[in-house]
Amino acid sequence: MIHLGLALKLLWRDWRSGELTLLLASLVIAISTVTTITLFVDRLQQALLLESASFLAADVVISSSAPIRPELLEYATKLGLEKAETLSFLSMVFSAERAQFSSVKAVDGNYPLRGKLIVSDEPFVGGAVSDGGPLPGQVWLESRLFPSLDVKRGEVLDVGISGLIASQVLIKEPDKGGGFDATGPRVLMNMKDVEATGVVQPGSRLTYRYLFAGSAPLIEEFSAWAKPRLNENSRLIGVKEGTQGIGNALNRAERFLLLGGLLGVILAGVAIALSAQRYSLRHYDHVAILKTLGASPNTIDGLFASIFVVLGCVATLVGTLLGFLFQQGAVTILGPYIPIALPAPTFAPIILGMVTGFVCLLSFALPPLLKLRGIEPIRVIRRDFEGGGASDKLSYVAAVVGTLGLMWWYSKNLELTLMIFAGGFCALVVLALLSMTLLKSGRVLGMQAGSAWRLALGGMQRRAKENTMQIMVFGLAIMLLLILFLVRTALLDDWKAQIPEGAPNHFAINIAPEDVEPIEAMMRTNSIDPQPIYPMIRGRISFVNGVPAATRDEAQRNRSDEEQQRGPRSNSGRNLTWSGTLPVDNTITSGQWWGDDYSGPSLVSIEKDLALTNDLKVGDALVFNIQGRELPAKVASIRSVSWDNMRPNFYIIFSPGSLSEFPSTFMTSFYLAKDQKLLLNDVLREFPTMTVIEVDAVIEQIQIIISQVTLAVELVLGLIMVSGAMVLLSSIQASMDERFKQHAILRTLGASRKLVLGSLIIEFCALGTMAGILATFGSELTVYGLETQIFELEYSFNPQIWVLGPLVGCVLIGVLGTLATRKVVNTPPIVVLRDSV
Amino acid sequence: MEINLVTDLPAIENPVNEVMVKAIDLGKVVSTSEGPLTILKGINLEIKKSESVAIVGASGSGKTTVLSLLAGLDNPTHGQIFLGDDEITAMDEEQRAHTRGDKVGFVFQTFQLLSSLTAIENVMLPAELKKDPEAEKKALRLLTRVGLDHRCHHYPRQLSGGEQQRVAIARAFASSASILFADEPTGNLDSKTGALIIDLIFELNAEFGTTLVLVTHDVRLADRCDRAIHIASGVIVAGEDIE
Repeated sequence: MIHLGLALKLLWRDWRSGELTLLLASLVIAISTVTTITLFVDRLQQALLLESASFLAADVVISSSAPIRPELLEYATKLGLEKAETLSFLSMVFSAERAQFSSVKAVDGNYPLRGKLIVSDEPFVGGAVSDGGPLPGQVWLESRLFPSLDVKRGEVLDVGISGLIASQVLIKEPDKGGGFDATGPRVLMNMKDVEATGVVQPGSRLTYRYLFAGSAPLIEEFSAWAKPRLNENSRLIGVKEGTQGIGNALNRAERFLLLGGLLGVILAGVAIALSAQRYSLRHYDHVAILKTLGASPNTIDGLFASIFVVLGCVATLVGTLLGFLFQQGAVTILGPYIPIALPAPTFAPIILGMVTGFVCLLSFALPPLLKLRGIEPIRVIRRDFEGGGASDKLSYVAAVVGTLGLMWWYSKNLELTLMIFAGGFCALVVLALLSMTLLKSGRVLGMQAGSAWRLALGGMQRRAKENTMQIMVFGLAIMLLLILFLVRTALLDDWKAQIPEGAPNHFAINIAPEDVEPIEAMMRTNSIDPQPIYPMIRGRISFVNGVPAATRDEAQRNRSDEEQQRGPRSNSGRNLTWSGTLPVDNTITSGQWWGDDYSGPSLVSIEKDLALTNDLKVGDALVFNIQGRELPAKVASIRSVSWDNMRPNFYIIFSPGSLSEFPSTFMTSFYLAKDQKLLLNDVLREFPTMTVIEVDAVIEQIQIIISQVTLAVELVLGLIMVSGAMVLLSSIQASMDERFKQHAILRTLGASRKLVLGSLIIEFCALGTMAGILATFGSELTVYGLETQIFELEYSFNPQIWVLGPLVGCVLIGVLGTLATRKVVNTPPIVVLRDSV
Repeated sequence: MEINLVTDLPAIENPVNEVMVKAIDLGKVVSTSEGPLTILKGINLEIKKSESVAIVGASGSGKTTVLSLLAGLDNPTHGQIFLGDDEITAMDEEQRAHTRGDKVGFVFQTFQLLSSLTAIENVMLPAELKKDPEAEKKALRLLTRVGLDHRCHHYPRQLSGGEQQRVAIARAFASSASILFADEPTGNLDSKTGALIIDLIFELNAEFGTTLVLVTHDVRLADRCDRAIHIASGVIVAGEDIE
């Protein structure tokens, strides 16, 4: 039987008497935090995806060495996707006096679908956005082509057999990749002029790129449909695969933001559970009275469920509204610091916030309330009667199911969910055991200390059960904050290390052996930081332990493991090199690296993905086919390679001397500042066989993206810290009644305000320190799991946390606790005692 | 203090020789860290309609336990309890709650008013729980009857101890209960106020024809009842009336 009128009356009276303030505040903060984070993350993710899409000039691209099947384009049209086409090739471009090997890209009228083309009237200046590419009959040239070809705007250039006017300076194009497409300075022309140039002939090396843009579901549908229909010369590239460096940064940032959201939900849940527990405890007597008056357990359920549904609705509405306003405020305040425009928020995060509110209410707040049905009416006579043992279990089950469900729903990542949950659970068990042990050891110290110490530690001892719970809650909150802080620091360090200041931004390949020394000399002369120069020889593995590599590859292709099917093949042609020194950012995972002075039989070091995909192990006997000759070599080591470090990296490295009989070219990488760009013209003129691949634009874009995700990460950390503080306050509030009563009695018996305040400070600082120690232990364990399993980072021990954790615990809990319980010493004892009767 | 009689309260039939409360071989054993502890053993009693009975005994004798068992607030370890024709020991908590709501009124030593509700709201509660549309009207009549109509909208903390107990008495009669259980109703009051409260309980008991079972160690109060049942160490030592 539901007594809605009575429920509303009780709700209103509880609200007026302040009983519901903390619970409502916890709920509102939970919902508004989740809504704020979700809305902000949603907008930021949308913005980052849009920004990242500009790397492709589209949402998805099909890259192919030949025109793709028309049905693919027809399907894109049917779905209503925007389309554009580009065609890239390498060609000599001639001015009246000079010629320059250039990377030519022809674009149609729709290009680019994402990102902007920046052009100007003058070379080497900032430029302005252009609405589209060059018109037919015109070409746009990269700045350094003007001095290189000795042309001015308006003059005619020959591309193939066609004369085209150099109408603009191309300052920036969104999808300037880092592959062979970036070999040589860019010439941008209109697609309609391609046929007239005569450069597209059978056998020409061409790259067709088909660009598509549209809503995320449509792009997903198109990608899923198109992927299996592509031939072996075509490749579908999404935003995240567009550039490995950005893909990794984005994936990790997304996981971090999700992690932040998850921790926010857990913290909110804990705050709600604590407040609901307090509310429930303070209603035991009310329920007992109602029961003596004839209220049955079902009536009690109905009454309090009604109260909670109404409370949930109010909290959801207020929380969602506040969440929306908070994120709008955050966007307004941070707008000048966010380098990209944020798209309008979608409705999904608001729904997520509302559902989160109700799930939190059901999982964390309802179980303590359902305990009320079990309160024995005899409590009106004997207050020690509680009852309701079964609903304790229900509380735990509901909280576990609710937390797991929310975490999974929120992250859509079962592994991440289970890892945090398991970490949290183990930490809680350890926290509980250690808290009890630490509290028991307090008595010895308390007996020997001064009065305030004795009072504080004696109090901790007497309330060992409650204090254990409080340390667990404090510990959990600090632990979650430390986890977020540690993961954030590791992520930022990793991103920073990925492309450090002055990282090489140009690759030079096809360096003739006789040019190696002059190039090194030229670099020294121009103060260019010298990087190792590696020999580069094409070759392939032909036999592995006597079995033809092609046969092994075929067997590999039939394996069920999708990751192994997709990995690099052993029989494919590869760039081989030799080196006495292990290259920077390479780590030996098994076997041993040979020394600088090694001169024995040929050994090879294999990259770990290549080894894993093809079952290659240390000690395997390989035979290489290089320039038609066979070279046997033994696998000496397996290496991990940091592919996104913008340095020359190799799948296969030989020991010194192994490749000395084979003629080779050389490659290196180097850093050129913007103002040194013109030097490239001189270098290329002096060493005409050398090819330079420019990746500076890509690096610049990666750095922009990383600075954006860094900001997002910092913001989420800040929001979660607010949630954490709320949990701490709820926990302190939960223990207020007992403290109020005890200290009021003490003060009536003559204890000074100073003594009571001193004991409160000591008690909270001690609780905080214990919680800090335990939180540090738990966070170090969880961070190890997260970094190695989820974020694919290298774990390193964090000694500073072992000082910081207990210190933060002591100061934070000490200050918050003392401030929150100031009322204990400021309220006249008679008021407290009268109210508690 | 003058108490106004309200003439339009429902009239109650005169008492007949009907048994309202019956206990057969009632026992209560609780478990403690030192092992099982027997609180009550072999309690047999009968209380007739409109009778007033005092349960008396020293502190810790088990008199309050008897009251809580008879009122259905607690479960006995063995034995049977009947309120009228209903055996409450055979009921689950849901049914017992309904029986309490229909047949039983309580007055406690510590008043047990809901602090967040006003005097009239406290008195309305039993009727409200039965979804009685007349709840407010009845509550007002009862508050007038106990002389607190001018304090209707005051919260318990704004009332004196005597006034709080009068509100509790009004609430006890608000459910049209046939049995009133009172646990040391004057225990928290000074003697003058206590005497007034006792007068009020007996007046209303007579007026409504309710059966009164009260626990007390006040001999004067016990003397005002039709009879007294003496309990010591968990057994009835005098005044049992099972034939």
